[in-house]
Amino acid sequence: MTPDEKRCVVTGLGVICAVGNNVEETWKSALDSVSGIHKTTSVDTVNCYADLAAEVKCDTLDNLDAPEEKDRVSKLCIKAANEALSDAGLSNFEDDQRVSVVIGSCVGGVLSIEQYHQHGRDASEIAKMPIAAIASQVAETCGAGGIVTNVANACAAGTISIAVACDLIRAGKADVVIAGGADSFASVPYSGFLSLHALDENGCSPFNRCNGITLGEGAGIVIVESFAHAQKRSAKQYCEVLGSGVTSDANHITAPREDGVCLMEAINRAVKNSGIDKSDIGYVNAHGTGTGKNDNAEITAFKNFFGEDNANVSVSSTKVMTGHCLGAAGAIEAVFSIKALTTDTVLPTFPYTEEQSAALKEKVGKLDFVQNTARHKDLKCVLSNNVAFGGTNAAIVFSKVPGEVSAQSEKGKKIVVTGLGIVSPLGNSKNAYIEAVKAGKKPESGSVRSTISLDDYKELGIKMAFYRKLDNLGQLQTVSGMRALQDSAFQVNDDNAKDIGIIVGTSEGGLGATYDFEELIAEAGNAGGSAFKFPHTVYNAAGGYLSICSGIKGYGVTITTGPLSGLDSIGYSMNVIHDGQEKAMMATGTDENLPIITEFAEKLGVAANGAVAPFSGSEGFVVGDGSVSIMLEEDSYAKARGAKVYCQALGFGHGRKNVKFGKLAGSDEALDKAIADVLADAGISAGEIDAVCGFANGCKKIDDIEKGSLKRVFGEKLATMPLFEVKERTGEGRAGSAALAAAEAALLLSGELDGDDAYFVADDGSVVCKRVESANLKKILVLSYAAGGSYSAVVFGKEA
Amino acid sequence: MNSEEMKNKLKAFFMSDLGVDGDVLQFDTALFGDEIGLDSVDSLEIISFVDSTFGVSMTGVAKENFQSIDTIAAYIEAHQA
Repeated sequence: MTPDEKRCVVTGLGVICAVGNNVEETWKSALDSVSGIHKTTSVDTVNCYADLAAEVKCDTLDNLDAPEEKDRVSKLCIKAANEALSDAGLSNFEDDQRVSVVIGSCVGGVLSIEQYHQHGRDASEIAKMPIAAIASQVAETCGAGGIVTNVANACAAGTISIAVACDLIRAGKADVVIAGGADSFASVPYSGFLSLHALDENGCSPFNRCNGITLGEGAGIVIVESFAHAQKRSAKQYCEVLGSGVTSDANHITAPREDGVCLMEAINRAVKNSGIDKSDIGYVNAHGTGTGKNDNAEITAFKNFFGEDNANVSVSSTKVMTGHCLGAAGAIEAVFSIKALTTDTVLPTFPYTEEQSAALKEKVGKLDFVQNTARHKDLKCVLSNNVAFGGTNAAIVFSKVPGEVSAQSEKGKKIVVTGLGIVSPLGNSKNAYIEAVKAGKKPESGSVRSTISLDDYKELGIKMAFYRKLDNLGQLQTVSGMRALQDSAFQVNDDNAKDIGIIVGTSEGGLGATYDFEELIAEAGNAGGSAFKFPHTVYNAAGGYLSICSGIKGYGVTITTGPLSGLDSIGYSMNVIHDGQEKAMMATGTDENLPIITEFAEKLGVAANGAVAPFSGSEGFVVGDGSVSIMLEEDSYAKARGAKVYCQALGFGHGRKNVKFGKLAGSDEALDKAIADVLADAGISAGEIDAVCGFANGCKKIDDIEKGSLKRVFGEKLATMPLFEVKERTGEGRAGSAALAAAEAALLLSGELDGDDAYFVADDGSVVCKRVESANLKKILVLSYAAGGSYSAVVFGKEA
Repeated sequence: MNSEEMKNKLKAFFMSDLGVDGDVLQFDTALFGDEIGLDSVDSLEIISFVDSTFGVSMTGVAKENFQSIDTIAAYIEAHQA
């Protein structure tokens, strides 16, 4: 049986969607086979061949603090979160470090992007746009002070969020996680799916007519709690959350693999990690979007996975009720799955005529596709799965029994850094970065960006048939990721493709591409969207392209929390390796500097007029970009293949003090907590830290937080502690810079960089810069931050 | 518009909207082969471009008509009003 300390239980549910504004209403609609699909009233449908959507009808969304500071997606999410917290008997956490928020989304604050573009380019819209705003605003509402992050894997994001929540609890990083997903219906996704001819003009009919999807909107929240924490407060427990599986198709940016093998692998991992038999699964809440490609791939995966062992498992898609709610889909379906499990009910897909039922039977064989009406069935475990653009597959098991979850079974694995891929305004390789450091290069203006050239593709053997499809963010990520693989001499092949995964960290992800798409359809109308450009609007497209280019088929997740995402990708990757989910992980930080990104920074008053140096006391920073990919491997796996080792990854830590999203002021002490947390995680003391790779970028408000915290943590020692600040060369490249700071630490510890300029903060707060040799550095602390008051820290140590 | 102009217009579209490198794109180059690697998403864009630029609908048209710039131009010429 799963040991109590690894058990995760569900103690609260919340939902809002087209068939109900809370769990009770939604569940009643599901039992009554009600569809929420109607003619849309919120987007322009002129010349569009499909005009249906499943929209939320709720006039109390604005009943929350500061509604003008929140996009509709955050309002939907907060409403569902409040319901779930109240259901769980939980309320304000007062910045409790043990309470986390993980929210999935596909299009985030896309309505605020539309508003900005069409109504006066108002700076107040900017902080509402990124997906990162959602979890931060949920955390601010309830005072969650632990890890606050967003999963941006498009239509699988909701499911992955709940999986990440359990991973955090099992790794001992949280006691309570508010997990789920949210998305709102808007012109961008509507036009995008129209351009792909993926909307069904008559309303989606999963596993039946299979002519396309119907978009929905909403949010689903599941309170996931450690068993011990729930027991201690005598909380009501709905069920256990057992294992999960996340894989990548490495095949196509929008279409799922026809053979469904990677989806099957995700389901297989979920069941295997749960320690249950496949025959324990009584009901599968399928992704069931209603497109022929998805539905057929799923049927193939189910038939092949369940085989004769569980040939008549019950299956249905509930999207005919809610529409396809994108990043909220998996979370809303988790609520359906948990209600199904706890009430011993299987939900239907509808409507099917007798003739259609017969045709379905022909297609699915013995599988029990539940049609037209809900019915009673004794259930022990249910499975919910989702697939997404970028080739992501995710599956998770909810259960009445504790199972035998295999997570963190082997504590204290040694993890090493074995490869670096660096794309920055200084050049597109590790060597270009080292050369630029040696030459003392600095930014020449207030806005700098990386440029990928045909030579990069040539050197990496990437063909035009592939690179022609990439948007700017995809170019940066593909080149840095392939460089890291090359640097680590890791040859991806059929034998090891599932041993390695990818976590992309990004602050703004596809925000720039979404803005471009909005510009296009504002001009051409919703019927004039581009099927070529639409995939780039999803934040996980960049990671998806890297997976396709490299053939990596393991874990594949994109997280977005602000700049620190480039360090969180390292921390979460370490967790995935500790969990035994993968042997090797590519952790990346990637952000771009399109003209619109610089415009946002200027409007927010944080862009410097020209080049500025860290600790220069400026009003703003140089807007930069970059993508840095770092290969992490279990030491024994790396040694077995004779890999070169840069350094060890010793620990990951986090701290948060809630302030408004878009702000940092007042959150200073959370950085102290992040440092204390990483030192505890690495099992070392502050005295053992030899240097810091920080996040200072020249903007006084940001730099002062770093200086102040380091002074409190290190005291007198700070005066002799070198602070390496990579943004002095690349500008503020958000997640790209956070990962670059980690790469700088790896280069210094390995000796590939024999030294670099470092800043020293004197007792009086004054700062001097001088060159420091790397030979004596043994442990380096790497730091980053995110708007809303979150800080992350990683410690790298010299390989003995 | 003569045939040559039409083909040049198609070529310009492939370069600007589908990221194809002009140096390797001749009028008879296989569009869906290994080198250019167009796929179903790209065909949606081609159909949309041909419809809005030349007023010819290629929705549901057999795959062989999409083989190259030459075959697309031939289809347009045969079906223009």
